[in-house]
Amino acid sequence: MQDNKEVKTEFKPKILAFCCNWCAYAGADLAGVSRFQMPTDVRVIRVMCSGRVPPELIIRALANGLDGVMILGCHPGECHYSEGNYLTRRRAHVLKRLLSYIGIEPDRFQLGWVSAAEGAKFAAVVKETTDKITALGPNRWVDKK
Amino acid sequence: MAVPRIGVFICHCGTNIGGIVDVPQVVEYAKSLPYVAHAEANMYTCSEEGISSIKHAIKEYDLNRVVVASCTPRTHQPLFRNACADAGLNPYLFEFVNIREHCSWIHMQNRREATEKAKELVKMGVAKARWLDAQEEFESDVYPAAMVIGGGVAGMSAALNLANQGFEVHLVEKEPELGGRLLKLNRIFTINKDPRELVESIVKAVAGHSKIRLHMPAVVKAASGYIGNFDISVDEGGKEVSFKVGVIIVATGAQVLKPELYRYGELANVLTQLDLEQRLKDDKLGEFQNVVMINCVGARIPERPYCSRVCCMTAIKNAALMKEINPEAKVYVLYRDLMTYGVEFEEYYREAKGAGVRFIRYTPSNPPQVIGTEKVESVRVYDELMGMELELPCDLLVLATPLISNNDSEELSKMLKVPIGDGGFFLEAHIKLRPVEFAMDGIYVAGSCRWPADIRESIAQGYAAASEAAIPLRQGLVKVEAITATVDPKICKGCGTCALVCPFDAIELKESEIRGLEGKIVSEVNTALCKGCGLCAAACPNGAVQQRGFTDMQLLSMVNALSGKR
Amino acid sequence: MVNLTIDGKAVTAEEGTYILQVARANSIDIPTLCYHQALEPFGACRLCTVEITSRGRKRLVTSCNYPVEEGLEVSTDSEAVIKGRRMILELLLARCPNVPLIQELAKSYGIEKPRFKLEDDNCILCGLCARICEERMGVSAISFSGRGLERKIDTPFHVNSEICQGCGACAFVCPTGAIKLEDITAKEPRPILSEFNVGLNPRSAIYVPFPQAVPKVPVIDREVCIHFLTGNCRICENFCQAGAINYDQEDEIIEAEVDAIILASGFDLYDPSAVEEYGYGKVKNVITAMQYERMISASGPTEGHLERPSDGKTPKKLAFIQCVGSRDTHHKLYCSSVCCMHATKEAILANEHYPDLKAFIFYTDMRAVGKKFQEYIARAEQEYNVTYIRSRPSKITENPDNGNPIVWYEETTARTRTSMEVDMVVLCQALIPSGSTKDISDMLHLSLNDYQFVDIPDRLFHPVDTEIPGIFACGFCQAPQDIPDSVVQASAAAARAAEFLSKED
Repeated sequence: MQDNKEVKTEFKPKILAFCCNWCAYAGADLAGVSRFQMPTDVRVIRVMCSGRVPPELIIRALANGLDGVMILGCHPGECHYSEGNYLTRRRAHVLKRLLSYIGIEPDRFQLGWVSAAEGAKFAAVVKETTDKITALGPNRWVDKK
Repeated sequence: MAVPRIGVFICHCGTNIGGIVDVPQVVEYAKSLPYVAHAEANMYTCSEEGISSIKHAIKEYDLNRVVVASCTPRTHQPLFRNACADAGLNPYLFEFVNIREHCSWIHMQNRREATEKAKELVKMGVAKARWLDAQEEFESDVYPAAMVIGGGVAGMSAALNLANQGFEVHLVEKEPELGGRLLKLNRIFTINKDPRELVESIVKAVAGHSKIRLHMPAVVKAASGYIGNFDISVDEGGKEVSFKVGVIIVATGAQVLKPELYRYGELANVLTQLDLEQRLKDDKLGEFQNVVMINCVGARIPERPYCSRVCCMTAIKNAALMKEINPEAKVYVLYRDLMTYGVEFEEYYREAKGAGVRFIRYTPSNPPQVIGTEKVESVRVYDELMGMELELPCDLLVLATPLISNNDSEELSKMLKVPIGDGGFFLEAHIKLRPVEFAMDGIYVAGSCRWPADIRESIAQGYAAASEAAIPLRQGLVKVEAITATVDPKICKGCGTCALVCPFDAIELKESEIRGLEGKIVSEVNTALCKGCGLCAAACPNGAVQQRGFTDMQLLSMVNALSGKR
Repeated sequence: MVNLTIDGKAVTAEEGTYILQVARANSIDIPTLCYHQALEPFGACRLCTVEITSRGRKRLVTSCNYPVEEGLEVSTDSEAVIKGRRMILELLLARCPNVPLIQELAKSYGIEKPRFKLEDDNCILCGLCARICEERMGVSAISFSGRGLERKIDTPFHVNSEICQGCGACAFVCPTGAIKLEDITAKEPRPILSEFNVGLNPRSAIYVPFPQAVPKVPVIDREVCIHFLTGNCRICENFCQAGAINYDQEDEIIEAEVDAIILASGFDLYDPSAVEEYGYGKVKNVITAMQYERMISASGPTEGHLERPSDGKTPKKLAFIQCVGSRDTHHKLYCSSVCCMHATKEAILANEHYPDLKAFIFYTDMRAVGKKFQEYIARAEQEYNVTYIRSRPSKITENPDNGNPIVWYEETTARTRTSMEVDMVVLCQALIPSGSTKDISDMLHLSLNDYQFVDIPDRLFHPVDTEIPGIFACGFCQAPQDIPDSVVQASAAAARAAEFLSKED
């Protein structure tokens, strides 16, 4: 009982976000400049394109015990490299199925689009994802193995 | 590789970071991280004082990696990289950690958690820094000459502009005459003049320009290389001519569709607008009393969905002209939407209406019917606005058909490795912001080969392409940030996945020439073409392809650092 | 410098500073209600209470007005401090049970329901409003009146104040929302409206013009800034850590010798209230396309939510009216060239946000001449529930019961006059050459055409050359055009200028 309560109030998820340099990372910067306040649970890794993130790396992150992973890129059709985010979108689709197959809740992985002008959206996505992952609870996959 | 000695510099940014994040605590934490040889706090790391502190520490502590935790790399990375370079450290041995935009500014109510987050971000940055490698930036000279393909108004404007700026230009035209599609027109809208006399002055200037080398009639046979460095070979009247250029402008134009609609080609008095112009030009039109023009013939239909932009104005121009030639004639224009955008087109449309040209709106679900056996006798049309069916007597039916892409576009696209989009028109780098550039550096596009355009638009695009092309020509040197892809030929299995996903055709499968691997099919990156997106690295099934500055190991070490794994 | 410890942490501070300031500078949080960086400390709310040990004696003091001393030991979270704060918050919550800020603060100290009798006040008597009015505005339009239980904030004689300058600082600093400017001032409160958000929300007198402004630095609007009007205030100066506020800055005249000039002075929006029949400014739920753009923008005043002006409701049925002032013999004869497409985009965005939203576009000719434009319109119809109606509405009226606009038009195919009631109307107004186009053209002795666009004598063969050699014009200042065409002309003007400069050599 005591334990349960503690998990509910104390659980702070650890979430990783891969942000593309041109849109999502710039959007995150704008969120900062605009002082949009948001949960502290997300850590950003900058990549040049959302398409740089291999699915293995996301699985690795979740298998390591991180509670959630996001990829945030340019909106479809607005990729700085023409088509990188389409590749990401296709991979994400397969990855979600693979995650559920290996026993990781697919919702622990989230894909989103944030433009360089969407500081508010970045904050909203961080909040939304944090809520979602918090609701899922801690990633117990490591313990299961 | 020497043992990493990492220096970590944590910025207070006044109170922007320091007011929220407990910077001294983060510094202490950084000191405890593996391979960190030195950590310090700065009031403003970007200030002169901060920069000299970095330079000093590199020497003092023999640092071979630098991590700055402050604001965003999008504004400050060049500054810190330069500081490293000034201190004799390769600038690519620098890593940025953002604890302002991504931490202190967005967690102002929660200092404790913000400090914890800043520590973790620094830990991740340090983890990545341990795997950084020194990199050299790719540099190459730009050969100070341009090739312009196409001698229409767009191509000539581009060539003339570049030549007047002092650059050598090779202008390649496949016809035996300069001027392009314009020469086939009878009159030019608004000024009602013969195009030939207008084009003449441009043609003269081009032909007589000391900086322009005209290849005519000639076609491009082969092109290879990259920005600054293209090898071109053209077939000039059966003779092969080779030359070198730094940039290429594609301005090959378009052609007019010959329709299989409204019994075109079957009945003698059915013409396209272009046919009509030819007859007027040759003075072979003869008598006419009742002229019907139909717009959007073969355009804005499921198999050719686009609007060709210029045909409405062509129809209005010729309708007005018919009225001028024979004021007694009845002239009808059957249209779907009239695309008289802007100021003059709209004015010209009003004038045509005033001159007695009748405009009738039809819908594609209820298209006009051609009546007649030997020749067109009349056209039956449902007038959408009047709400009634009309039968218009007709002794001349003129069809406005769209511009379609040239037959040789595809071949050219393959040769230059530039993409073709909808309708066979060339695809620019960005539909809004980079309309005359290809995604491939050093190649530009102008005129109707990109999208149907009228004269002034074609000329403006010709100038615009010249403007973009002049940038590398003037700089004389192209530099590429060292975040490009690399291939380890020992690991590469030659599957070609990387080449498949590369949006820039920067990867080719080739036989290796490396000793011990001779003949092995492996991927090879053309650094001049690579834009550093890293798609190939993510796609490589066995880690042979890596993106410099974003290697698998670097990204993985960040993930592991965050999740507490080594 | 003075050495002291706060929560066991050794810190140094300048003499004369207060404990609260030192703690905050060292990332130690102390809650406050009556403290304001720009005002003298007041010690009224007592929430900032801390426990100090001075010469071996422990006692509770308010940190906002207790100066630091050498060797002082401060505890911001000792049991006594927490207990004290709890009591303060419990009393405050009893006084103001409906103020969210107090509820939240109390909750964070574990108080949900006070033991005392509940009152229904919103004012916590922190005095921020009266102090800012007196100390910084130099007006003293309001102050405390009455004593003990009768103590409250008021204007003299309970009448709306004539001396109030209507600056709104009192309402702005009030932490509980108890102060309403309209209860205080005798003047009509006049918010400063954001130009960038087309008047949809207010902005401050010192402001960054828009989120991605370059350079991204604030500017002071001297027309409305209290300091420039009265010499008082200067609060922004207190808040700027970098000390960058400079009230003496003057416009600078920069002289540069150039050989070529490129004019790219852009467009303004035609005032849609001139098209009287569409009721802009009278029918509340009739807005302009630019206002709509700000609303639907994630970084706009409503954060991307459509909220109609009359009641903030999300519209379910939306009408776009094209050619408002364009192609119109009473207004502008020309076609503005971009409205068909932006209306289509806006309708698509609306449907993306609210899948059950239905949009109608009333158009004259659907001018979709750019790359992929026709396909875009087809998608709007097929996938985004957009209906195009070829008709030019004759008027827009308001349904007095619900504020819905009613669009009156001719159903062209059925040839009947009819009307459609919608939740909101978006007017796609004509675009006109910017006002500065005329100013600059006059300065450069360039002619304008009938519509005030920069005249291009040989538009056909020299599309960006003005009548004066070496002066080029591109973009909307010389003719209506969309983004790609403007970008093309911009590059073209640069090329022409480069050519012109090469000739000079």
